[in-house]
Order: sequence, then C-alpha cells, then structure tokens
Amino acid sequence: MSAAAITLDASDDVATALRELPAGETVAVSHPAGQAQLRPVEGIPAFHKVALHDLPGGTQVRKYGAVIGELTSSVPAGGLVHIHNLRSLKAVAAPPAPPSEGTDP
Amino acid sequence: MNSAAFHGYWRTNGRVGTRNLLLVLSVTGLTGPAARRIASGLSGAVFAGTPYGGGLIGEDATAHRRTLAGLATNPNVGAAMIVGADETTVDDIAARTEAAGTPFAALVFDHTGHDALTLVDRGLRAGAKLLKTISRQRREPAPLSAITLGLECGRSDPSSGIGANPVLGAVADRVADAGGTAIVGETTEWLGAEDRLAARAQTAEVGKAIVAAAQRREGLAIAAGIDLTGTNPGRTNIEGGLTTIEEKSLGAVSKAGTGPIAGLVAYAEPPSAPGRWLMDAPAYAPESLTGFVAAGANLVLFTTGVGNSFGSRLAPTVKLTANPATAARLDTQIDVSTAPLITGEEDLSSAAQRVLDEVCAVASGALTFSEIFADGEETISRFGPAL
Repeated sequence: MSAAAITLDASDDVATALRELPAGETVAVSHPAGQAQLRPVEGIPAFHKVALHDLPGGTQVRKYGAVIGELTSSVPAGGLVHIHNLRSLKAVAAPPAPPSEGTDP
Repeated sequence: MNSAAFHGYWRTNGRVGTRNLLLVLSVTGLTGPAARRIASGLSGAVFAGTPYGGGLIGEDATAHRRTLAGLATNPNVGAAMIVGADETTVDDIAARTEAAGTPFAALVFDHTGHDALTLVDRGLRAGAKLLKTISRQRREPAPLSAITLGLECGRSDPSSGIGANPVLGAVADRVADAGGTAIVGETTEWLGAEDRLAARAQTAEVGKAIVAAAQRREGLAIAAGIDLTGTNPGRTNIEGGLTTIEEKSLGAVSKAGTGPIAGLVAYAEPPSAPGRWLMDAPAYAPESLTGFVAAGANLVLFTTGVGNSFGSRLAPTVKLTANPATAARLDTQIDVSTAPLITGEEDLSSAAQRVLDEVCAVASGALTFSEIFADGEETISRFGPAL
C-alpha cells in the first residue's frame, strides 16, 4: 500500500500527510523501519502534521528526530498538529510569553 | 573528477562563468534610472545596482562596497559597466573590478555636467563596444569544481524539507566532493537546527560561530518583539503546513548536504576555499540571492513549496519543488520537480543525479524560467540606519 503520510525519524511524534487525509479513513504511514496504520480523527490538509500517538499538552513535539516546538494543548492520536496547538521554543523572551494564537493576517 | 562537466566561459583569474553578461552596475542610487536605461538599450546587458548612496555608514558602507564589487566580478559577468554619481565611489569599485581581471568601463555622473542623458549616451556607446568584445568569447569545457552553488528556499511548505531541500543537499555534497563550492544562507532558518550544523563544522571555532550567528538572529527577533510564527515561518509557509521556525529550519538546513562545513562567511563575502559554506545573511530571497552572487555563485538552486518566481539576474536560478500540485500548477516557473521522491517513485540518489544533470545543462547555457522572464532583481541587504 502506498503511504499517505511519512514519518521521517523513528523518534518522531508526528507524520506529514502526503495528501489530504479525511477524518476516519485508515491510512498507511511510512516510517524508517517500515509501515504502520493510522486513522485521522479530523481532516488533515496535505503536507500538514498528524499525531502518531496521544500527546499531552506541554509535549515537546519531535519531527526530523528533533524538537519542533511545544504543545499548548493535548492532541489525540490522529489529530492535527499545527499552529493552533504548537508553539515555537525559539525567540521567546523570558519570562515565557503566553501561548501565541494563530497570527493569520 | 576533473573531467568536463559543463561548458563555460573561462575568466583570466581561473574562474568560469555559466553566462557571459554585460553588467550595467549602478553603484549609487542617483544613477540607477540612467543605468537601467543603458541596460535596456543594449541586448544582452543586465542591470544591477543599489538605491542607496552617500549616507551609508558602518557595516552598511562596508557590505555595500563588498557586494557591488562582488557583483561586478562575478564569473558570469563578461564585462562590467560601473556607473555612479561620484568619482570616489566609481573608482573604488572599478579598482576592485580591475584587480579581478574583469573588463570594465567606468562612467561618472559628475563628469557629464550632471546630465543623466549624457550619461546614458556615453553608457550606450561604451556598452556597445564591451558587448561586441565579449560576444567573441566561446564556451569551453570546465570541471564540476568550477561550479559555485547558491542554495535557497522560498515560500516553503513541508514538501520542501522532505523532498526538495535534501536533494539540493545531495547535489551540494557531489559538487563539494568534486572540488566545487556550495553556499547556504538564511541564518534565521538555522534556529532549531543550529546544533546539527555546528556538529558538522570543520573546526570547533566554525561550530561556535554558526551557533552564535543563529542566536544573534534570535536576539534580533526578541529585541524587535516579533513572534517568529507568522513572520518566519510566514503566512504562506503556515498555510502550506509549516508551524514553527524549528520545523522550517530542520527542513531548510538539509540544503547544506551531509559533509563537513568548511566555514561561515559574512553577507556577500566570497568563501576562501571550496567546500560547503554557510553565509550569515537575511532569509528574504532577493537579498539572500544577491549575497550568494556577490560571493561568486555562478548558479543558484532554489526550492519552493507553494511557488516563488524570483531568481538572480546574474546567476541562472533553477527552481525546484517537491510539491506535485505546485509542479503541475506552475509549469512555467518550476524547472525541476522532485515530487517523485516524495511519492516513492524515485530515490534520493537518482533525484540528485537528475538535478545535477540540470545543473550542468543550465551551466552550459540552457535557460531557466526565471531567466526567460527576467524575474528577479539584485537586492543588497541593509544593516542599519543611514545619515
């Protein structure tokens, strides 16, 4: 089965959707060691990130085998990880600023 | 390894051009309009210049002179026409151009009775002669080591980091391993991946400098009170699926390949040896590309996620994407699609070979879309206030 999402490193918490993934459709996710299955609990737009397992709020989320930010709320397996629930740990002046909301102009 | 990879224009200083341009270079803002008129009146001439002039101070003054001289002496420039308001500025750039062995003409507004039309008239006549001379040079075989790549990404989405930037990295590795040079800039886009880059530095000193450069940019963002999310990554990045600067950086730095990083140069500063280099530079593509070209890049590889039409005017710019929808939608912008890598139809090595083949074809004269549309303008970075 051709993968609908890709995990880049064995330690990653998220996979990247290679196409739009509808909620509830079981899809193949490729990862360095082979392939797994995942069922998105909400629609995942193409090239957005889907949680591979339940992630509590405050999790430092990994992609490419490295931390890409911190969750501001919990995300279930199959949930969308995007700027509404993930914030950067860079360029945050101390004391830490409150969680930033999406800044779509 | 030293066999002919492409056919280019050998310069007297041993470097090789992938193009043979007449550059009309305005070294002061005042003479920009006249220089543009000169360039538009001469087939095969390209304009570049600065909108600024006498008020530049400190790092701006230094970087501006370095960049202007770097543009004039880029190996793709067969001859340069240096146009400026005052003799001092023109003489400075002309002396550096002469030292590099690039044929040139120098024109000073102050010597025309302050008449821009006289300046244009003299420029057209001098430029015509330079063009006639450089048109007699022929392309000759050149090795891959004569390639200096500028590596850029713009309007990225997550496909860039997964399927396009790693291909650039593999090409950079092959070029560097053959004795060529590859330069990656966009310092802000090292944040979150700076330790990975530093770990590959040839010396501990270079590693420290890489981390310090990234932290300096982070400090600039904090001092400006800017939330990087929404700035870099910007709106188009986020709509494409990117979230934080860390995620963007981890995808962006794969442009630098996997081999050792020889060193870190300042904006528009030429690397002192072949290999993989980082340039401490702004991330915005127009400024970034000019930094590469002024440092000697004779070809640019530029990945995009959702589409970015901009290219260098001096160095042919090959536009790549791994996003299949973008490749299909922008079929007169994207020169190479690496989408087959994402869909599993192609492996990294064969994608890199395909891009390397395109590098050699373009270096030998094949046109890129941004070149055909003349979509680009050299843009010199600013660093502080002016007087």
